[in-house]
Amino acid sequence: MSHKWGLAVDLDRCTGCEACVVACRAENNIPTAGEDQAARGRTIQWIRVERTWEGDFPNPKVRFQPVLCQQCDAAPCEPVCPTYASYHTEEGLNGQVYNRCIGTRFCANACPYTVRSFNFFNPAWEKPLNLQLNPDVSVRSVGIMEKCTFCVQRIKSAEILAESEKRELKDGEFTTACAQSCASKALVFGDLNDPNSEVTRMATSNRATKLLGELGTKPNVTYLERGTWQDATNS
Amino acid sequence: MNVVYALFAEPDAAQQAVDALHAASAELKFDERKIVIVSGEPHEGYDFADSHLTSLPYVWAAVGAATGGLCGYLLTTLSQKAYPIVTGGMPITPPWTNGIIIYELTMLGAIVTTLITLLRGARLPNFKGVIKDPEIWLGKILVGVADPPDATRAQLESCLLQAGAAQVKETSTVH
Amino acid sequence: MQRTAEQIEKDLLRPIFATSSRYKIAVALATCMVLAGVCALGYQLWEGIGVWGINSPVFWAFDITNFVFWIGISHAGTLISAILRLCNAAWRRPVTRCAEAITVFSILIGACVPLFHVGRPWLDFWMIPYPSERGIWPNFRSPLAWDFFAISTYFTGSVTFLYLPTIPDFATVRDNAKGLRKKIYGLLALGWQGTPRQWQRLEIAMHIMAIAIVPVAVSVHTIVSWDFSMTLVPMWHSTIFGPYFVIGAIFSGIAALILTMALLRKFLHLEEYLRPLHFNNLGKLLLTTSLLWFYFTFAERLTTWYGNSPSEMDVFWSSIRANFAPAFWTMVVCNFVIPVPILSVKKFRTITGTAIASSTIIIGMWLERFLIIVPALDHKFLHFSWGSYRPTWVEDTLMASSFGMMALLYLLFSKAVPMISIWELKVGLQPHGGGVITTAPTIRKPRGLVLEGPLPTDVPE
Repeated sequence: MSHKWGLAVDLDRCTGCEACVVACRAENNIPTAGEDQAARGRTIQWIRVERTWEGDFPNPKVRFQPVLCQQCDAAPCEPVCPTYASYHTEEGLNGQVYNRCIGTRFCANACPYTVRSFNFFNPAWEKPLNLQLNPDVSVRSVGIMEKCTFCVQRIKSAEILAESEKRELKDGEFTTACAQSCASKALVFGDLNDPNSEVTRMATSNRATKLLGELGTKPNVTYLERGTWQDATNS
Repeated sequence: MNVVYALFAEPDAAQQAVDALHAASAELKFDERKIVIVSGEPHEGYDFADSHLTSLPYVWAAVGAATGGLCGYLLTTLSQKAYPIVTGGMPITPPWTNGIIIYELTMLGAIVTTLITLLRGARLPNFKGVIKDPEIWLGKILVGVADPPDATRAQLESCLLQAGAAQVKETSTVH
Repeated sequence: MQRTAEQIEKDLLRPIFATSSRYKIAVALATCMVLAGVCALGYQLWEGIGVWGINSPVFWAFDITNFVFWIGISHAGTLISAILRLCNAAWRRPVTRCAEAITVFSILIGACVPLFHVGRPWLDFWMIPYPSERGIWPNFRSPLAWDFFAISTYFTGSVTFLYLPTIPDFATVRDNAKGLRKKIYGLLALGWQGTPRQWQRLEIAMHIMAIAIVPVAVSVHTIVSWDFSMTLVPMWHSTIFGPYFVIGAIFSGIAALILTMALLRKFLHLEEYLRPLHFNNLGKLLLTTSLLWFYFTFAERLTTWYGNSPSEMDVFWSSIRANFAPAFWTMVVCNFVIPVPILSVKKFRTITGTAIASSTIIIGMWLERFLIIVPALDHKFLHFSWGSYRPTWVEDTLMASSFGMMALLYLLFSKAVPMISIWELKVGLQPHGGGVITTAPTIRKPRGLVLEGPLPTDVPE
């Protein structure tokens, strides 16, 4: 059975703790920008939690939304890359081939969600953080575009394991780093081609929306909307 | 190449001289194609200047454009068909975007062909040397005969003088 | 004062054979600016592109602004040379080579920008379609791939367009020079003699080139504009960008040409050749393009404002009212408010007047490119990812150095090549003022004192 990977985000459950952001950094060897570079807008965040609020303390109405690469079926970042570094895999992922990227940054401009990050400098990890790099994920050098890959290294190793054991992948057998670390299980990763998977159930819920869906990018990340604004004093 | 020539200030006079040389070519035993005309600027509207008008470069430019277009087609459409990359829904050979590249290569083909046609038609680059006379660049038109037979040399000179030349000169091509 | 062929030769060959100290100082200054740019570029290549001010979400700023600006300036040559050649306007004769030189050099500078603005410039060659065992092939759907082909074609065409009519002038210099100079110009002249066959073939070639280069020029800047309008970014995704950019390019190109001509006239003492007539006519063209520019800008902004789409209005207001408002209104003043009164009134449409208008237009058009790129990137769809941009010294130096490079290339060119086409000027002196290409031999006698094209007001008898 061919797979089509998707993610669902239940905005009712997201607490804005940003454990997903930290886990993603650890899993995917994302460098830290440092205070100065972060102030200049150079942070690399494959997933970010967008905070919007109304009103003031002590009763603000807050909304958290994790935004990551939507792995669009009609991705606007794909036609514009002159070297095919941004392309579409057969399993529905928007792949980024680091080795082909020459860093024109056209894809980042074309992405309506601004989820693509650029390596403005060569990455450096202060000792002893350099010992925690994930060997399954390549380290990107200066001038390369990067973004969320749905932890493609985990997808690939699970697929290889299942094939070697001559069986199908089971739903929930593996997951992305962000979904794995989400304390409130707001993020759910899975196979949209599997009618029984959790992510399919969430994607077909009546709360399901797509971020900037009206643009026609056909994203594979589904957001389950809350009914009303969450009142901060009533949890 | 040895050239016996005279300089004329007015294109009318040059035209008369050219006609006279053509008429006398049989008598003076030189080939009509050996008549040399050199000027520092083009003179349109005169027979001596317009006898080389041709539509051939336009035809060649069109051929070059077609060739360029074909190369563009081979480059975009055929190469992408031969090695299709998984495009996830994008068309493998979109005609509109390929068309832009085909268009540019068509124009490039026309431009390069025009350059080649000019070089060939004007017989450039010319390594055999040029006739040098500083008066050419000052507006005078040089009319003469290349390598005239010695026997009829004197008659040639008088023919030129009769056509209105002030003085007959001789020179050989220099590099 | 009647100019003879002899006088034309003397005047126009003088800069080639004589060098003033002023020239040497100018070259030294321009070289310093270029060297500063080279140092900044070296620093950037060593440290990484982070030494610029670009960030997330403003991934393109000064770099692409300069790219579009210089490619825009390159449209000067095409319009003046090619279109006026096709319209057989006699007043174009002294102007064509200056214009064509601007085109070639500004394309050169403009084409360098995309080569170095990428994150990994040493891999630029991947944009070239060559057989690679690594399976690398350019994506022909990408506007950047279209840019590569368009700019290469345009550059080839412009160099050809500049070189072909210069061949007879190289021959003139060859015949007037001695020693090494004679050898070099002999090579450049390709052994040009000046036979009627050669003249005819040259004129036919120029005619074909003029017909071919105009659509190429239009396509080049349209394709450059499609770098923006092919994306979904609010206020970039606009169908008007193609014609808007082409008109803007012609507009800035003519301004650059007028400025260059004014400088050449002063420093090379070409007062007899670059006359008030030429500035007057170019000033009228500049006025036309200024009005057209205003029309396109107004059309684009009005439709955005009237449509009131939220994401587009964010970008719109940031230009009109908020952080980019000073730049925006300066642009309007520079491109429209100052030039139009100067250029509309014949009394002001003098050499000084057009030069002033051109200077403000160059500034205004640079700002226009900047204002198309940065406010839209600053204010994309998701408010959380809005950002800001400030250039660093590296970008400022590179920009200044690009102007220095243009000055240097132009100074060297004016030393090596007669800035005004000698043979074309001589044709202009002929009684029938130089004719149209016909495809059959015409009458033997000259056509009499009938000028082709509009009567120039101060051409000598």
